[in-house]
Order: sequence, then C-alpha cells, then structure tokens
Amino acid sequence: MSDEVVTAAPEFELESVAGGAMRLSDLRSDGPVLVLFVAEECPTSALTLRRLGRLVPSLAAAGVTVAAVFEDPLEVAARTARRAGFAATLLAEPPPYDVSRAYELSSVPTTVLVGRDGNLIGRVVGWDAGALEELIEEACGAPVAVTQESPMRKPGCAAKSTYDAQTLRLLDAGSGQDELEEMFERGWTDGLPVIPPTRERVEAMLGGRDPAASLGEVPPGMGEATLERVAACAVLAGCRPDYFPVVLAAAEAALEPAFNLGGQAVTTQPVGQLVIVNGPVRDTIGLNGAMGALGPGWRANMTIGRAVRLLVSLTGGGFPGRLDRAALGQPGKVGVCVAEDEERSPWEPLHVERGFDREQSVVTLVACDAPLSISDHRSRSPEELAAVLGWAAAGAWSTNWWPLGTRSVFVICPEHAELFRKHRWDKRRLREAMFTAVRRPAGELRWGETTPHVERARDEEPVTKWTSPDDIVLIVAGGEAGRFSAVFGPCLGMNDEIISREVRWTT
Amino acid sequence: MDYVSPFDERRRTPEPLAPRPDELRGARVALLDINKRCGDQFLDRVEALLGDHGAHTFRLVKEIFSKPAGPEIIRRIADRGDLAVEGLAD
Repeated sequence: MSDEVVTAAPEFELESVAGGAMRLSDLRSDGPVLVLFVAEECPTSALTLRRLGRLVPSLAAAGVTVAAVFEDPLEVAARTARRAGFAATLLAEPPPYDVSRAYELSSVPTTVLVGRDGNLIGRVVGWDAGALEELIEEACGAPVAVTQESPMRKPGCAAKSTYDAQTLRLLDAGSGQDELEEMFERGWTDGLPVIPPTRERVEAMLGGRDPAASLGEVPPGMGEATLERVAACAVLAGCRPDYFPVVLAAAEAALEPAFNLGGQAVTTQPVGQLVIVNGPVRDTIGLNGAMGALGPGWRANMTIGRAVRLLVSLTGGGFPGRLDRAALGQPGKVGVCVAEDEERSPWEPLHVERGFDREQSVVTLVACDAPLSISDHRSRSPEELAAVLGWAAAGAWSTNWWPLGTRSVFVICPEHAELFRKHRWDKRRLREAMFTAVRRPAGELRWGETTPHVERARDEEPVTKWTSPDDIVLIVAGGEAGRFSAVFGPCLGMNDEIISREVRWTT
Repeated sequence: MDYVSPFDERRRTPEPLAPRPDELRGARVALLDINKRCGDQFLDRVEALLGDHGAHTFRLVKEIFSKPAGPEIIRRIADRGDLAVEGLAD
C-alpha cells in the first residue's frame, strides 16, 4: 500500500545498538531506507524481523538500507534482533516515543520506505507479504521475493506511542529485565543465573591488566584464556574485582599441565576442582574458613570456585553433557573454594607444607569428587579419632578399590583438630595413624571392582587404603562447635598433581 | 549491550580427513592402546579381524589414558602406519 501523497519523512535521531546516535538523514545518504518500527513484545514484529531479516543482504546489494526502530531499550533491541536473526541497523526509541508519534504509528510492526530525497514513499502496517513485496520492489527497482509461507498477513500490536503515560510505565517496568535470561540463551552459564559480563564490569575486574594477555589454552576445547575471558568468567560467577588475583592464581594452577585439567574436564568421573586458599588474602577479601566453610553463604568462596569452573566449561568448552562426559557430576562442580583456618589449626598450613612462607597468599588446586561429612562426637583419644576419620574414606572410589592410588583431602574441623593439639600430634603422626588404621585383608576385597594389587595379593595380606601416608592431605576449617570433619572424594587415573600458585596482586 | 564473551570465538578450520583406503590388504595399521583396562582385549579382536583382511598391524601404548598421546607416539603412527585404530576401554 503506497501513499499517494508525497510527504517528507520526519527526521529523527536515535541511539544505535552499534554505538552513538544515528539520524534518518545519515541512513538515507546512500539510497532509500526501509525503516521497520517494531517492539519486542509484539509477535508480529518478531515475524517481520525474522522474515525481512533474510532479505537484508539482497536489499543491501540493491542499495537499500534497512533499519529497525525499536520501542524498547537498546539491550532489548539487540537481543530481539539477535533472536530473530535480523542483522541491520538497530535503533532504540525511548519513551514518550516521539518518533513513532511523528510517523503517526497506530501499530507495530509498521514498515516505512523513505526515499533518498527524504520523502515518504510508502508504508505497510502489520505483516502483509504481498504489500511488503511491492514496497521492496519499489525500493530496489527490481523484484525481491518475500516469503510466501503462511501467514501471509498478520495484524500487529498497538504501538507504545498510542498508550497513556500510566500504561506506558507499566509496560516499561517489564522491559529490559531479561538480561539474565539472555545469559542463558547465550549459554554463558552453569545453569544458575549469572552476572552479565558488560564491558564496564569486565574492565573493572581486569583492574588495568592487559585484556589480551594470555594464561594459555583451556582444555578440553583449548579456548585461549585471555585475561579478558578469565575476567568475564569471574564477572559471570559473581566475583568482586578484589577476588580477581585469586581467580587468576587458580586459573594458572588449573592450566599447569601436571594438573591434567584436560583429563578431568572430559572424564565420566564426577571430578571438580577444589580451590584451597591460604595466607593473608583470606582476610583481605573475606574468604571463609570458619563456620560453613564449604558453603553456601560466603560470596568470595562461592564465586571464586565458580569462576574456575566457568573457565573450564565455557572458555575451555568442557560443558556438562558435551565435552564434559561426567555420568552424574556432583554439586561441587559448580565450584568449591575454601580458606584454611590457619589460626585455629594446630599445624603448619597447607601452603607452608608445600614450601611457601606463611605470609604468602597461595591458591592450591586439587582434583576432587564431592565431600563426605564425618561425624565424631565421642572419640576421646587421638588414635580413636584418627581411625574414625580414616575409615570414613574406606569406601572412596569404590568399596573394594584398595589402595586408592591417589590422595584424599581431609578437612578437619577445629574441635577435632583441638584433640590432636591437646595430645601434641603433628600432621605426620596423624597421617601415619590414619594410614595404619585403615587396612583390610585382600581376601575380603576380592569382589566387585577391585585393584590389580588386591588381585595379586594373598587372602590374608593386609591392604591399606592409601599407598602412603603422604596421600592424606590435611587442612583445618569449619565452625568452632560441631565435630564434623569431611573428606573429599578422589579423582583417579589422571596422574594429576596438586598445584599451588602464589597470588600476585599485579600482572 | 556490549558484553565480553567468555568463549573463544575463533573459528578453527577442521582438519581434513585423510583419504580412505580402498582396501585393507597390505595396509599397515597402528593399534593404539590407551592403557586402560580391557582396551587390550578390544584391540586383540580388532587385530585378529584386520589380519583376516590381510592388514599388517603394530601396537602402541599411551603413557596414560587420560592424557593426549605424546608427539613421539603420533610420529611413530604417522611414520609407520597407513591407518590407525584407537581402542577405548572400560
């Protein structure tokens, strides 16, 4: 339906999704312009964007510029166009929709053809395949086929410019709030809501670091861990910028080849990456090593562990059900980060055991399955308690899988640690007592999934759960009351090492 | 909205597949054992079947199943073999 009377198209200047403002006179400087007035919540607008979107390259080749004017905020315009596969100029019109009023819109979509001379050539209201084909032919000077799929015609929705102010406020209250849904659509998630990684947030996370600097490639998909992408993962996870040095140290540790992240990321085992933090940084950023240390409840703990996992699953492509082939997975694969309660520990902290100074801030990564709680409110001797703790791991990996062939990480709660302090047991003594306590005759282990060691052993030969006391890793954390320690499940077959990295405040 | 993607958006060019052989007779087939339980049983069967078709086989073993094959193993497969079969396990 072409207008019979020649009138000048009202000039406008609107914000563009591509950045900056754009005027109609800019758009028509190279030729005629097809302007689509649309709105996000209007299904016919979506239909029009999707169908005309397919024609944008042909129209561009014929010298016709296509622009969509959304009665929505910029981010909504960008998202709606992306969903519709509409790749052309995107403009956003704010309330009170003066441009829509100037064009006397009654409904959206309305497609307007403006000539290079600035005159209105025609308009089509709603979706009308036949009328749009005529309008486009007029624009191009040659026929361009508009899809003949059903529906050939579809009425649109009332333009926002036609509403009163109070109704508009109600409408606007609902728009622009789907940014979080967009993160799910993009796949930038672990299944939980994330913080959208806007450029501003990522720059704040980077804190002046070089965004293009690289930590290396992240298995299994070998996406490059530029600092910018690591920062994006940290933002998505909900980290504050002051957590970022810890995230970076954890990422460096994860990418150390001896950690074998590639094997961990694709295995059918439920392995995740346990992040243990030692040193002054714990207090600086509020990492919890006390009550509820294994979560939930503390932002730094929850988000740092999650940032590491998002790096693996998004940048590294190790997404569950795709390259991550874990049969079941486990909740800890969302992320686990714990601070050691060095102040309540009777022993040297983990990072000191591993060769660092107490005053250094250090992140240690261990490949681990889910933690299992160990209650013991009755043991009165360290020998008794050591045996209870050790036997809790007897079923680790599989009932009869002895020796385990890898390490077990025990988180000793302060009350349990206190018993060992009272009896002056150091870590070595506790490890040896646990190691010695947990043993069974090979003959009792010869069923189900068992080890080559058990298969070869004589029936009466005692088999220990661990190959060496050194396979028992001990840290202290937890609430001051409540005798609940925990042991993390193992990760097998990876030939992986525990990796520690110092937290650096600048790069 | 201007977001920073956590994905590495670089498009990787897929490696083209090597030409398929017309027949197995006389072909040199590398059998890569990933070093996981029961993988050798699978490769024993494959080896027998390939032998029936007149192929010559040779075996290699990865250091550990959970890590990529080292460059030396890949070089040996490329130098000595026309084809390769990798035996997964469990």
